[in-house]
Amino acid sequence: METASATTVTVLLPQALATRVGDQLRAQVAGATVREVIVALDERCPGLRFNLCLETGELRPFVNVFVNGTHVRYLQWLETPLPPGAVVHILPSVAGG
Amino acid sequence: MSSATAFAPGTHVLLVGTKRGLFILTSRDRVEWSCQEQALSGRRIFNAVFDQRVGRRLYAAENGDFFGNFIRYSDDFGQTWQEPERGIQFQEESGLALANIWTIVPGRADDTETVYCGVDPASLWVSHDRGVTWEQNAALANHPTREHWNPGAGGLCLHTIAPDYSNSNRMWIGISSVGCLRTDDGGETWTFANKNTRASYLPDPYPEYGQCIHRFVQHPTQPETLYQQNHCGIYKSVNAGADWIDIQRDLPSEFGFPIVLDSHHPNTVFVIVEGEERNNIGDQFTIYRTRDGGEQWEALRNGLPSGKEVRLGVLRHGMCADEQDPCGVYVGTNTGQLFASADGGDSWKMIADFLPSIYSVTATVIQ
Repeated sequence: METASATTVTVLLPQALATRVGDQLRAQVAGATVREVIVALDERCPGLRFNLCLETGELRPFVNVFVNGTHVRYLQWLETPLPPGAVVHILPSVAGG
Repeated sequence: MSSATAFAPGTHVLLVGTKRGLFILTSRDRVEWSCQEQALSGRRIFNAVFDQRVGRRLYAAENGDFFGNFIRYSDDFGQTWQEPERGIQFQEESGLALANIWTIVPGRADDTETVYCGVDPASLWVSHDRGVTWEQNAALANHPTREHWNPGAGGLCLHTIAPDYSNSNRMWIGISSVGCLRTDDGGETWTFANKNTRASYLPDPYPEYGQCIHRFVQHPTQPETLYQQNHCGIYKSVNAGADWIDIQRDLPSEFGFPIVLDSHHPNTVFVIVEGEERNNIGDQFTIYRTRDGGEQWEALRNGLPSGKEVRLGVLRHGMCADEQDPCGVYVGTNTGQLFASADGGDSWKMIADFLPSIYSVTATVIQ
């Protein structure tokens, strides 16, 4: 969903979501905040929002979102405003052991 | 081998859900088994089941580590998968978030479009279009005691669903650690069915609810009869769960997860009781069988491993029986061994090893 202040950003998605996004792991999306970008992505690729967010609206615990290299936990989570031309990286947490 | 050949009518099929994917094993004779497919790689598959009431649809409960939990279904033996158009997702205003999908159960034989699903947080979901769209059962979601329900170690999971084949309005469900609930009006209301089952970890060991039920099965010819494996005992009900009779007898532990029965000889029931360490008691992996509805139990060991290094655990969906006579019994361990008996438990053979931790095993024969 685009808003009056929406800007176009670049979103980079992980390989694990390739099936969901039809192998288009790089997308140009309009949105003023991270949440708006996720909504816009979900409109393009139905179901993607559920991959990234719990039903309650929060980001899933092991999904990390970076805006221009900074994790949104150090910004304003999903309400983080996006500057024009921002790069939004979406990545799963590191896991192993 | 093409899927048409590998899954020809008469083929025995095992669906093995593991911590890292679904494994599909086949056999023509229940003696020699081979792995035909490894599907949904990397995902935690809590349960998978073949539904042959209409066509051949395979359902899987996929729980991802990162990107959510989904029911998947396949009409080509696991080669390609589809996702429901409206899957299992709580309403945002509920404040709930799907933690895990635990079980998928085809509905009654004469209700071929209906499929049930149980999840954590405890809720029952129903599809009336073969898994394409799902709806949450409202009465259970709004049960007046719900705020007092507490999870077991595996979560607040609805793990067992038994639609009564003799009464389309009656169904039982099992929730850990809430207990057994029954509806007699097609899911409009739910009442507890836990009388005489213990919750020895609570101040009142025989509460109305709060029991850690692990698994139960309905007798295939006596619909009022149920067998239950609980955290605290093994039980039988002969009155549709109105009350329960302790049938642990001389079994060496009250604790275990799975319980299955022989559909042709339904007084024959199998359990696997475990010790405090949640694996075999002593150095011998043992499966227990009763042939008289729980009056006496015998230890089955022929072909099962023993030794000081043998410490095998079996989870609640980790054992199943097929519908042949003599019945095949299949047991998957949380360390990746899969054991099979083609003679009702008299003898056993390991038919797969080195699998990821096994969560579930279901058996079917291709029609």
